[in-house]
Amino acid sequence: MSETYDFLFKFLVIGSAGTGKSCLLHQFIENKFKQDSNHTIGVEFGSRVVNVGGKTVKLQIWDTAGQERFRSVTRSYYRGAAGALLVYDITSRETYNALTNWLTDARTLASPNIVIILCGNKKDLDADREVTFLEASRFAQENELMFLETSALTGENVEEGFLKCARTILNKIDSGELDPERMGSGIQYGDASLRQLRQPRGTTTQNKQQCNC
Amino acid sequence: MMERAMEQLNVQLNRLTRSLRRARTVELPEDNETAVYTLMPMVMADQHRSVSELLLNSKFDVNYAFGRVKRSLLHIAANCGSVECLVLLLKRGANPNYQDISGCTPLHLAARNGQKKCMGRLLEYNADVNICNNEGLTAIHWLAVNGRTELLHDLVQHVTNVDVEDAMGQTALHVACQNGHKTTVLCLLDSGADINRPNVSGATPLYFACSHGQRDTAQILLSRGAKYLADKNGITPLDLCVQGGYGETCEILIQHHGRLFQMLIQMTQNDDIKENMLRQVLEHVSQQSDTHYQRILTSLAEVATTNGHKLLSLSSSYEAQMKSLLRIIRIFCHVFRLGPSSPNNGNDMGYNGNKTPRSQVFKPLELLWHSLDEWLVLISTELDRSRKNPSSSSSSSEIASLLLKQREVDPSVSTPKLPSSLLDPQIVMETEVYPDGEDVISMTANRLSAVIQAFYMCCSCQMPQGMTSPRFIEFVCKHDEVLKCFVTRNPKIIFNHFHFLLECPELMSRFMHIIKGQPFKDRCEWFYEHLLAGQPDSDMVHRPVNENDILLIHRDSIFRSSCEMVSKSTNEKLKQGIAVRFHGEEGMGQGVVREWFDILSNEIINPDYGLFTQSADGTTFQPNSNSSVNPDHLNYFRFAGQILGLALYHRQLVNIYFTRSFYKHILGIPVNYQDVASIDPEYAKNLQWILDNDISDLGLELTFSVETDVFGAMEEVPLKPGGTSILVTQDNKAEYVQLVTELRMTRAIQPQINAFLTGFHTFIPPSLIQLFDEYELELLLSGMPEIDVQDWCRNTEYTSGYDPQEPVIRWFWEVVESLTQEERVLLLQFVTGSSRVPHGGFAFLMGGSGLQKFTVAAVPYTSNLLPTSSTCINMLKLPEYPSQEVLRDRLLVALHCGSYGYTMA
Repeated sequence: MSETYDFLFKFLVIGSAGTGKSCLLHQFIENKFKQDSNHTIGVEFGSRVVNVGGKTVKLQIWDTAGQERFRSVTRSYYRGAAGALLVYDITSRETYNALTNWLTDARTLASPNIVIILCGNKKDLDADREVTFLEASRFAQENELMFLETSALTGENVEEGFLKCARTILNKIDSGELDPERMGSGIQYGDASLRQLRQPRGTTTQNKQQCNC
Repeated sequence: MMERAMEQLNVQLNRLTRSLRRARTVELPEDNETAVYTLMPMVMADQHRSVSELLLNSKFDVNYAFGRVKRSLLHIAANCGSVECLVLLLKRGANPNYQDISGCTPLHLAARNGQKKCMGRLLEYNADVNICNNEGLTAIHWLAVNGRTELLHDLVQHVTNVDVEDAMGQTALHVACQNGHKTTVLCLLDSGADINRPNVSGATPLYFACSHGQRDTAQILLSRGAKYLADKNGITPLDLCVQGGYGETCEILIQHHGRLFQMLIQMTQNDDIKENMLRQVLEHVSQQSDTHYQRILTSLAEVATTNGHKLLSLSSSYEAQMKSLLRIIRIFCHVFRLGPSSPNNGNDMGYNGNKTPRSQVFKPLELLWHSLDEWLVLISTELDRSRKNPSSSSSSSEIASLLLKQREVDPSVSTPKLPSSLLDPQIVMETEVYPDGEDVISMTANRLSAVIQAFYMCCSCQMPQGMTSPRFIEFVCKHDEVLKCFVTRNPKIIFNHFHFLLECPELMSRFMHIIKGQPFKDRCEWFYEHLLAGQPDSDMVHRPVNENDILLIHRDSIFRSSCEMVSKSTNEKLKQGIAVRFHGEEGMGQGVVREWFDILSNEIINPDYGLFTQSADGTTFQPNSNSSVNPDHLNYFRFAGQILGLALYHRQLVNIYFTRSFYKHILGIPVNYQDVASIDPEYAKNLQWILDNDISDLGLELTFSVETDVFGAMEEVPLKPGGTSILVTQDNKAEYVQLVTELRMTRAIQPQINAFLTGFHTFIPPSLIQLFDEYELELLLSGMPEIDVQDWCRNTEYTSGYDPQEPVIRWFWEVVESLTQEERVLLLQFVTGSSRVPHGGFAFLMGGSGLQKFTVAAVPYTSNLLPTSSTCINMLKLPEYPSQEVLRDRLLVALHCGSYGYTMA
């Protein structure tokens, strides 16, 4: 009746207008490029269940408008996000320069523990590149971000971006660095985790059965 | 020879005596079929001696199967518990495993009926416990169905496979769980039954226990480690508990599988689940402890917040998300209002400060309210911006449009490969590329309004009944402009989401002009929806009537006995339904109720009681200023108000028409000088004259006072403090007219009006009746009269240049023909001030001074000019419209909102 997953993660996609945030989300969910993409009004929503490290994780993704006029609305969605894709456009230095602001917003409004992956989108437009891979990766390193260059058009690294972020969160849960039970962690247990937790008990019952036969 | 014959005779005689003495045959017939029917009653009664005697020396086949289901006598004995006969039959070689037409053995029947001794004997004679009947049922299934644990205990030792399945793959454990036989379940489990065994559709014992809400059985299974498994369609035990509304069983499931709590909460998002069942379950779980209460509410608040945010995502389905959000909020508010299970602890649970734990549960929702607030601020900013920059707003609407045209200017924006310059954020920021064809307000108004509704519900559930939360009032005031913009664009929003208006008159007044502009029908629906909102489910309408609740009315004293009966009953009972019976008559039901309202309303205006007085036109009524001749008059007015309110509440029509001014009094609308016409047409004309003419140089020497005849003596009554010394001048004459109008129309009958309204408001809240104007109220109370357009047309006159051949007049009648009955009534009301056609038809239409036919007068046409009317002379002032379409359009505008503020036109 309801879909099964071990965890639910709340994700954000943030970054300046026109960097391709909605296209990244569309590519990730529909596996195709969104041809007639308009500017996002407010915040859009998408979800997908993925398999990461043997666990099923439902990603609840909030795709925010990049335009300044929506800033106060989009900010109200930040709270309690477990992960974020911070997107800039490799062919636009302006969007790259704005990253620091976006980053501050995310860390102060969402949660200091938020796991962020930096995505340099429009990798397919290499000819018009204004931001080099090297300087962006240096920025990522300085700010403790993961980093990928992606293309929502070709789909390159799109899946990886989301999965990498999810995997890092799972690792942090396993290492105890993140506590899913804490309010506002952006993480919830799903139905499947229940079934797995019950597995040992089930097996003992079955063994007992076999003895009886 | 003789001796032998004698001997035979003796035998026969002996047989005859025995037969007679025992009142039955003493010898079995040779034919099995006849014999078996002789034996059957004896077996049933366990008359084993008789049976034994009859079987002795008989050739009867003890395994003979008979009847429709082909059972043997052994089946009969086992079924009836005739243990002696059973043993007898077994001794005589009856087959203990003989199967009837449905495959049942005697053991099956004994098990089904719990015949312990028979079962024991059958087992002694090696009855096979493992035989299945045609449906695959074995003896232990039968025992399990009925919970015969003791018998099962005896039998189960002989069973080779306790998990034997029937045709549906069901084991004895499945059926025992389904029926909630605790000891049977324990017995089966102790005998090694598979606790997780799925049937053909994948249903486990736990699944069955949950599907029937068998709390204790579920408890046993779970404590013995039953797995929580869904069936092949993915339906889980929790789903079943919720579908059945089994709160206790749910609680057990959650105790054992903590994570199911979240699943339960998530179910509030599922449209397929019945809301009342889910609510019942959550209600139960919330009452287990304060912690449960807090947890449920906090989780519901979280789910609601996520749903609200999804609703605000424009690509989500508005319908589905809106329903989902409101459903969750409804459940949330319901559980919240219940309070924690131990109210004494409610305020002291180790929380410090003034934040009680109860209000703590609203915290997750603050995120949503914050987003809502930001959205409304954003829209307000956009409104301001486009107002300053009118070029971007559309000219047809005064509300700024946020349409942007940039995308049309440069279509390349939507193509994937963009020239980098266009994506320079600075350019993007400056040009603010907005989506095509739609604007932010029209895309978000519905969604935001639904969230506002949710916000209101959450605010209200923290307030005492009937009070609006200050926070919400503040919210509406803050976003006043945006909210008005929403409803102006799409008035349906009011009816769909702005229910708060009905509960707060202060807020209602802000939106009243928009509401009044909505079609009568929509307002009616809204009216009844909220009027009946507190009542139990409407599908319960036809509940049986309690004999004590029937209003027993005497026909010969209908007014007094009705008054007595109604005052004896309670308002709540009268709201639930009215049942009337006339003394000495059988009849009951809707017809009698209708008749009662009809006769009673006629009685209320009976001049003998002196309560109401006829108006000048002779068809309408209003309170009699001299009603105090009847010392009980105010009680009777209250009763009259109750009857009118009750009639409206139950959609019954009354047979009274009131004056326009009295309808205004019911609605709380101020009267004006034209209303005076209904009681004193000459005087009304004089007031009109004063208003129409310059009175400066007439030397009227009027002051703000009138002379009135008070019990025979003339007395000067001031219209306002010190009025006797204030002169009426050209400048203050309007005030004078209003004050004398109020004196004549209101002050003279104020106590009567107040008493009437006290009664009326017991059934109809003032905030709700406000939705209508005086014309509509008349329609609601007294119904819609039939209007004969032919007769109307024949009895119409034309002035100021119109004649019947004029195209405008032809169009007019064509339009009238095409109007709905309701619209025709509105037109009639618009022009004559009354919805009624006089007896005898339009030929007898009355004006201020005698017969006055319906008249259509020409008015020069200017663009957008609406028709107007002079009700005193039944005149429609119809502009000379250039086409039928324009005429129709303008006329309908005038009818639907023209009853408001046209009077001075």
